[in-house]
This record gives sequence, structure tokens and C-alpha cells, in this order.
Amino acid sequence: MGSRRSAAGYLFFAPALIVFLLVGLYPILYQIYLSFTDWYLLRSLTPVWYGLDGYKRLLADTVLWESFLRTIIWTVGTVALEFVIGLLFALLLNRRSRINAILSGLILLPWVAPSIVVAYTWRWLLDGQYGALHQVLYQFGLVGERSLLVDPSLALLAVTAVSAWKGAPFMTIALLATLKSIPEELYEAAAVDGANLWNQFRFITFPLLIPVSVVMSLILGVLAFYSFDLVWIMTKGGPTDATLLLGVYLFRQFFERNELSYAATIGVAMLLLLLAFSSVYLGLLRKRQTA
Amino acid sequence: MTNKRFKNFAFDAATIGLVLVYLFPIIWLYSASLKPTTDIVGAPFDLLPRSVTLSNFTRMWNAVGFQDALRNSLVVALATAVVVTSIALLAAFSLSRFRYRLQGVFATTILAMQMLPGIVMVVPLIVILRRMNLTDNILGLMITYLLLGLPVAVWMLKGYMDEIPPALDEAAMIDGATDWQVLTRIIIPLMAPATVAVAAFTFMLAWGEYLFALSLMTSTESKTLPLALQAALGRYTIDWGMLTAGGVLISIPPTILFIYFQRYLLGGLTSGSVKG
Repeated sequence: MGSRRSAAGYLFFAPALIVFLLVGLYPILYQIYLSFTDWYLLRSLTPVWYGLDGYKRLLADTVLWESFLRTIIWTVGTVALEFVIGLLFALLLNRRSRINAILSGLILLPWVAPSIVVAYTWRWLLDGQYGALHQVLYQFGLVGERSLLVDPSLALLAVTAVSAWKGAPFMTIALLATLKSIPEELYEAAAVDGANLWNQFRFITFPLLIPVSVVMSLILGVLAFYSFDLVWIMTKGGPTDATLLLGVYLFRQFFERNELSYAATIGVAMLLLLLAFSSVYLGLLRKRQTA
Repeated sequence: MTNKRFKNFAFDAATIGLVLVYLFPIIWLYSASLKPTTDIVGAPFDLLPRSVTLSNFTRMWNAVGFQDALRNSLVVALATAVVVTSIALLAAFSLSRFRYRLQGVFATTILAMQMLPGIVMVVPLIVILRRMNLTDNILGLMITYLLLGLPVAVWMLKGYMDEIPPALDEAAMIDGATDWQVLTRIIIPLMAPATVAVAAFTFMLAWGEYLFALSLMTSTESKTLPLALQAALGRYTIDWGMLTAGGVLISIPPTILFIYFQRYLLGGLTSGSVKG
């Protein structure tokens, strides 16, 4: 049985392995190779060996470093907002009530909607001429004549809020699932001991939510850090680079400037960061499993 | 008692109110798609349309390239769903039912693949596909979607397969069934709803995908729906009515699929990502 079983095991995994090798590993290795070349499409049709010069350029590229900082702000902002919205809805929807079953499904709609739809809907709500939300903000004196999305000092805040709006349901369902797994008796015992709602939240609910919150923040943080769609569709990184994230910068180098090698160098740098993120993530998982 | 009932009512009302505020952009998108253009511009605060029209939808339907894009999106999303689910079933079977030396490596490989964001893969994949003359080509686009869809699908299917007791396989094998028969005659039928749910989820991923479609599908005939919507924004003086109708049309399939299958997907997605 033993050897036959193991041969069959390899065989059934083979198609997935081929996909991984051809569409995952090979492109990554190719990208690493490209990052050591000079390939500017307008100058040559094939990559030319360039050594470490691409990386020197990367280290000296102030626009890139500014994008990096901006991406960190965007990521932290997105995750923090997602957590606040997610926690609020998870607590509200955890109550046993007939309407909550329906609402828990409906709340997922922003997360399910394709990013092009989300981006256009918000662009339109914030439009300086026709946007309903823009007009409300304008009435309250929170924005001027121009849309938030063309205001260099506020555009990043606006796209961050939209990104959190779209991602929050994922946080909500993860927190909600954890809340539902907390035994009722814990609260009953606490109530007997005279703990009010706030103390029940502080000493029972919140500590029990910490592990899932950390893991979800990391997952949503990686998603945010490597995101592209929403910002590209809403602002293209503008106005004057106010929303230029790393992903958008990479895409610009690749698609608009035809700097294939430099885009690959940025891609490799982003992959290295991902390695760091995922070792933190795997470390956390291991800690949870042994705990 | 009445106090408690009042409290429940107050909580229900607050929850509904907050969810409505949160969903306001979506409600508004659907509502605007049914409004005549004059109302979209003239009465943007009406949450319910004053008069209902389908003209936005007919304009979108007849816009240049829309029907091509609909066909392209359907083809690429269906093909991706079928191919990804098939490969994922085999891989999940291998990880769930066999013991072999590289199993741990393979499982880690799937996890690593799941963490790969599209943006760090876009340069090499597009360059490779350009060299293979697979730009403006549904097959080329589908190849990139294998990378996006496969890891999640393997993970979710493995989760469901692990719940089916291996004793069932062993009983069938004593009766002379082969591995292939165990998979196709016993395991897949037992987890058919979950399998369809995973296929639906993969369909959704491919249906709404933007980055790779944008990078690969540049000619008018090869565009998928998100790109067709984008083209509609550029080509005309902004026709918000038509754009909202397009947004609704693109949102409907994933929304329906997700609501229908959410029971299967939510458990799989949260456990897949949280338990690892």
C-alpha cells in the first residue's frame, strides 16, 4: 500500500504543482533576473545585463521612498478603520435577533462588489459637480469647491477611507465568528459578579478578540500594502503624487514609462518585504497553535 | 420584560440604521441606475427614484464593446472556474488523503502562493505572456487567473474534504475501487455543494479582476467588463446614468453567487485565512 499511495499522492498534486512552477515560481525567478538588467523598451528590445545598478537607482529614488512612506500610512489607516468598523458591526450583529441574520449577509456587499464598481461609485459620490456626498461635505464646510479626490492634502485620506469601507466586511465576519464562539456562561458569571456591559467587554470580549484581530490585521494589511485597483481607478496616484502608492508607482514604471527592468526591481523589493510580512504571520500562527 | 423588549427594539433599529448608512453608496448606485439622467444630476439626494427608467441599461447594453466584453468576461470567468476547481480538487485530494515525503512542502507552496499579491507578479507574467503572443487573448488572461484562484480553492476544498471520514474511502477500496473512483464517485458527490461554491467563488474572482485584464487586454474586442466600463467613462462626456447601470450589471452576478453560497464560503474563507 505504502509506495503506491505515495506515488498516487504525487500524481494527484502534479497539475497544481505545474501551475505553481510555471505561473508562480518561474515568473518570480524571471523577475529577479530582470531586476539585474537594463530594459527600457524604447531603447532596446531585449534586456541587457546591468548588475546592481537598478538597486542603486531604487535606493536613491526619492519618489519611491515617498511612495513607500505613503503606502505605510495608507496601510495603517486602512487597517485601523477596518478594525473600528468591523468591531462595531461585529458587536451589533452578534446579538441574537432575527434581523441580524439578514444584515450579516447584506453587510458583505461592499466586499463582494468588484473594485471597478466601488471605485466609480465613490468617484461619483465625491464628484465636485454632481457628487451627493461632496455636496453634503461642502454644506458642512468640510471641503471646498473641489472634490476631495483632486485636493492634494485630502485625497489620500479619501482613498484610504474608501479602501477601508470595502475591506471592513472581511474584518466583521472574522470578529463575528469569534464572538459567536465565546461561551454565554462567561458573561453570565461576570454579570453575577456585578460586571456591567463595559467591563464585560473590556475583560472578556476584548481579550478574546485580540488573537483574531492581530491575524486579520496582518492579512488585511498585506492586502492594503499591495493594493492597486482602487487608487489607480480613482486618482491614478494623483493629484501631484498625493496618492502614489508603491503598487501604482510600479505600474507606472512598467506600463506608462516602459521601464520594465526598473519595475521588476521594485517588484523584487516588494516581494522581499512580503517575505518579512509572512514570516511574522507564520510566526504568529505557530504561536497560536502551540498556545 | 417590556423594558427588555424595548431594548431589543432599540438595538435592532440602531443596527439597521448603521448598516443602511454603511451600505448607502451601494443602495444609491442601484437607485441611480434606475433614474433618468435629469434626476441623477438634478436630484442626487433622492434615495428612491422619483420615476423609474431602464434607459440607462439599454444605453450601456448598446454602448460600443459592451456585449463583446460581457462575452469575454463570461468565457474567462467560466473557464477559470472549471479549470481551477478541477485542479484544486485533485490537489486537495492529494493533500487530504495521501501521506508522502514532500506533502508538507506542497502544502506550504500553496500557502505561499496564496500570499502572492498580483502587483508583484504583474511585470514578469505580462512580459512572458507578451513573448508568447498571448496578450489580447482569453487564454493568456486565464493563465494569470490560475495563480489568483488556485491557492484559495485548494485550501477551501481541502477543508471540506478533511471532514469526510477516510473510513468511507477505505470501505470503497476494499470493494476494489481505485483512487480515481474514490475521488469521483464518493468524495466529490458528498461535497458537491461545497465544490460548486468554490467554483462560484473562483468565477467571482475572475469576473471582477482588474489589474491583469488592464495589463493584458488592450484591444477593444478583447476587453472584459471592468475595462469596458472604464472605456465608457473615457469615451463619452461622462454619462453617470449609463455608468451606474454598468456598475449594477457587473455587480449582480458576484452578489447573487455570494449571497447564495455564503454559508459555504464564509466558513472556508475565515478558517482558511485565520487557521492557516
